[in-house]
Amino acid sequence: MLALRERCKFIVITGHSLGGATASLAALWLLCELQSVTTSPPVLCITFGSPLLGNDSLSGAILRERWSGNFCHVVSNHDIMPRLLFAPSATLTPQMQLLLQHWHFSMSSTTTTTTTTITTPPFGIPAAARLGDQEKAEFLGFIMASLEQSSVGAAVGEETAGRFSFWPFGNYLLCSGEGAICLDNAASVVKMMYLMLMSCSLNDFTEDHLMYGEYVARVSSQYLKQRSFVHGELNRESSYETGLALALQSSGISSQEPAAMQAKDCLTMARRLGRTPHLNCAKLAVSLSQVVPYRAQIEWYKMLCDESEDQMGYYDAFKRRGSSKRGDQVNMIRHKLGCFWDNIIEQLQNNELPYDFHKRDKWVNSFHFYKLLVEPLEIAEYYRRGKHRVEGHYLKNGRPRRFQISDRWWKERRANKDKNRTRTKFASSTQDSSFWARVEEAWEWLGDLQSGNDAINKQEIWENINNFDRYARTLIERKEVSVDVLAKNSSYTIWNVELSKLSSALVCPAPLLHSA
Amino acid sequence: MAVKEEIVSKAFSEAMGAHRSRNEFVEKITSSEAIFSFPGSWSFEDWCSEEAKIDSALFPSLRSLGNKHCAVVNKAFQDRFKLVAENSQLRKRVEEAVQKNKQIVFTGHSSGGPIAVLAAIWFLEDSAKRDPPRRIGPLCLTFGSPLVGNHIFSHALRRENWSRYFIHFATRYDIVPRIFLAPLSSKPQFQQILDSFKSQSVLTNLGSYEPPSIAYEFFKDVMSNALTVTSHAACKLMESSNLLFETMTSFIKPSSYRPFGTYIFSNGNGKLVTLNNADAVLQLLFYSCQPSSEEDGKEIAKKSLTEHFAYNNELLQSLKEPIVLDGKESADACNDMINKAAEDMGLSARGRLCLLAAGELDSQKRKNKEKMDSKKGQIERALKDVENYKNKCAAHKVGYYDSFKRQKNEDDFKANVKRLELAGILDEMIEMLKGYKLPDQFEGLKEWIDIGTRYRRLIEPLDIANYYRHSKDEDTGPYMVGARPKRYRYPQAWREHAEKMPEGSSGESCFWAEVEDLRTLMKKSPEEQTKFKFESRTWDIQNNVVRWGKERVIQDAFFGDSTFVKWWESLPNKLPEIEQLVIR
Repeated sequence: MLALRERCKFIVITGHSLGGATASLAALWLLCELQSVTTSPPVLCITFGSPLLGNDSLSGAILRERWSGNFCHVVSNHDIMPRLLFAPSATLTPQMQLLLQHWHFSMSSTTTTTTTTITTPPFGIPAAARLGDQEKAEFLGFIMASLEQSSVGAAVGEETAGRFSFWPFGNYLLCSGEGAICLDNAASVVKMMYLMLMSCSLNDFTEDHLMYGEYVARVSSQYLKQRSFVHGELNRESSYETGLALALQSSGISSQEPAAMQAKDCLTMARRLGRTPHLNCAKLAVSLSQVVPYRAQIEWYKMLCDESEDQMGYYDAFKRRGSSKRGDQVNMIRHKLGCFWDNIIEQLQNNELPYDFHKRDKWVNSFHFYKLLVEPLEIAEYYRRGKHRVEGHYLKNGRPRRFQISDRWWKERRANKDKNRTRTKFASSTQDSSFWARVEEAWEWLGDLQSGNDAINKQEIWENINNFDRYARTLIERKEVSVDVLAKNSSYTIWNVELSKLSSALVCPAPLLHSA
Repeated sequence: MAVKEEIVSKAFSEAMGAHRSRNEFVEKITSSEAIFSFPGSWSFEDWCSEEAKIDSALFPSLRSLGNKHCAVVNKAFQDRFKLVAENSQLRKRVEEAVQKNKQIVFTGHSSGGPIAVLAAIWFLEDSAKRDPPRRIGPLCLTFGSPLVGNHIFSHALRRENWSRYFIHFATRYDIVPRIFLAPLSSKPQFQQILDSFKSQSVLTNLGSYEPPSIAYEFFKDVMSNALTVTSHAACKLMESSNLLFETMTSFIKPSSYRPFGTYIFSNGNGKLVTLNNADAVLQLLFYSCQPSSEEDGKEIAKKSLTEHFAYNNELLQSLKEPIVLDGKESADACNDMINKAAEDMGLSARGRLCLLAAGELDSQKRKNKEKMDSKKGQIERALKDVENYKNKCAAHKVGYYDSFKRQKNEDDFKANVKRLELAGILDEMIEMLKGYKLPDQFEGLKEWIDIGTRYRRLIEPLDIANYYRHSKDEDTGPYMVGARPKRYRYPQAWREHAEKMPEGSSGESCFWAEVEDLRTLMKKSPEEQTKFKFESRTWDIQNNVVRWGKERVIQDAFFGDSTFVKWWESLPNKLPEIEQLVIR
């Protein structure tokens, strides 16, 4: 698949029934692989009647990565297979075995015609016929009950309902004889799957799994024709009501059925509330302009620290601040800016912003410059509160997700840009925003060596220290740090001093560097 | 302005008559009009649906100014028009007719229609260049014309206020206006259809025409493609935020041809339906042709070919009153037009919803403009504050650019806050423009061009000062190369288009960026200097500075201590005129 990536314009992965589950997994793998590549062809995974794959954590992760647009699951209204895993124990029943056999025979013995015929296998009665009506009814009833429970649980928002049981992800194209509707809200999908199944007859639920060819052909030609609205008068006043009624009709639920009211509510729930993405984005421009003055205040604080007599640089000044009014103010601003950007990330994940938001220069740049300026303060606060002793180092466990996201966006935008610019003066912000976190780690290593504890792996620590030293010197040579790093009393400068003291102390007695 | 029925009838008979002519165009002079009709062609090469970029020398206005999207036009039509324009007497004849004060009418039927359209736009471009501009606009009437270009046609023509000159007549089921919603280049069936049209065009008794057997296949093909295009457009209209839609968009590229101007359809029952909302017309093109069953479909397929020649019976007979359009209809009038269209055409529920969505987008655009208009007061106040700051600096004989760059006083900090406040408002406007969510006329409105120019001249120097103060050129390169915000680029493009200035010549607001860049360049090696054209740029900027200094748009640069003067004094080859402008 990776070889194909070079040559093709887009990739479509597909499968029917269990093949659909494999297709979904293949698509997920491919999307993960392509994440690190800047230009990759678009990937689409279309499955037909495939069973559920994972629980709501999987769905949540796919939502966060914004991949739900890459999956389209076609599910017909009476097909039992996609709904099966709402009652996982049903897969262990003997009825399931018979069903699987029946489908297997039907699929392997039919040709590519769209109508399926139940051909008699070489020996005896077709498997489905062995399923008596009563058994069918029982099986169906069991699935329906679990489905109902899941859908009710979803409506109430029960935590436990989703945690261990299967949950849909991506988009669902629910088809019926009357048309199709496309939903991406998982809770609505579950509910609609339940409601659409209600009108299922005992024969339908075994045969529908094989009828996708028909459904697809029908749906394609259906929209070419003008269809009159069958069930009563359309509300002329409200376009929304009309749209809702049309969607209901397409899902095959007639307005006479008891399910109709619930279906209407369910579809209403699925719509997007609030402003359209473009308007949200436009409004954000105004919000950004209100937040940038705060950033200017931090820039001013940084400049103040650079010029102050303490000569500490703003990282250390902030870390070691006593209870000063200015320090508190800066802390509050740090917090506010963090909330602002977290809010944007959340809006993006909820699909409230245009899909190409993370490619727009204005936002990528603003985010990046915020990170360069303010992440040192986040690091300072983390170490000031001693969180590293409880939760581990910042880079491993404490780094807020928004900074990782900013890194990713910046890398995507700047991948092809000129990296060989030589600087003539020190940058206004240190270009690696996690520099100070590394300094803190280097301090810990130094501390370990100074403590004289023999239980530690001295070789490894020296290696780490040398790596860090090299990394820091390269940055400084290229002037990619801001002047506060080189301030007389900054953590980095003092660390350097301690390091040279330690090195010279070691040279005299015995060169530990050569120990085996 | 009103278009009388007689003109329409005359134009139609000319357009049909032109088919029999061997010339590139046919001219007919009447007492008050000069009608230029263009013949259609039935050969496949002249119909191919391949897209090409618009020739911007011939049609400089057909682009979106800020976004810089160029119009896309059917290659075959553009090539054919260019031949007509260059080789025939068209220009001369049109000029003569104008001298005689005749109303110029360009018309064509079938593939003669696009040539008439391009001729009309060419005439309008020409009129706009003249000084004084011509008084009477042309009229462009097409009958059963295929689509000519993409959505930029509609956008640009509205911005220039030329949209009202274009009226397209289409019988309800005529397939030709819909043909380019499907890719045709690879369809051998299409040649058969063209042949059938050819034979129809010479028939005197239209009743004896028999449509070819592939009519139904062809019809279904065009309609399923039209369905893709219209549902795609409808999803966009309804602002679907479903990610699957975005993925699908990158997979399937539907046809980019779109309608523009005003469309007049016959509804098949003696009524005429007028619509000038381009998005609504697109939806109507599909939904008015939707069959209700397979039988119905076959009937409609036959009609789709016969109605291409039935304009007299189907349409013109129903034209009882003059057509009045001025392009300035209110929001209510537009919505009424759409509702009436849906009613009279007897559209399905889904069709009606799509049409209403198009109307809704138009309303939304108007609301967005009202929102921007309501912010004018805020913008004016902020500009005034910065103006005061500038004058205060001038009183101390310091340019405000330098004062802002140093950021020593509270005034400087306050100016920064104002700069950011304005940036927020203007950026919001730019976001809306990028998504085409403001009315098409917006980039041509004088009031906004003026605000944009004033904003640019006053505030851009502060943005540049901020940029170089933080040495951002070392992070991301020179300001002009990739860092200049759109809120400055767009108003510059608007002004240059409105005042017919060459592109890039109105750069007085960003000359500081050039100065800073040249300052850094001066410290570099001679090889670097030649690579970045140090010499020629230095001369250019000095000449420009003299020009702008005389126009009094960059006074603050001339204080004795300013960055510019200091740099200029260090140059080996100085332009002496600048010395007179310096304030010491």
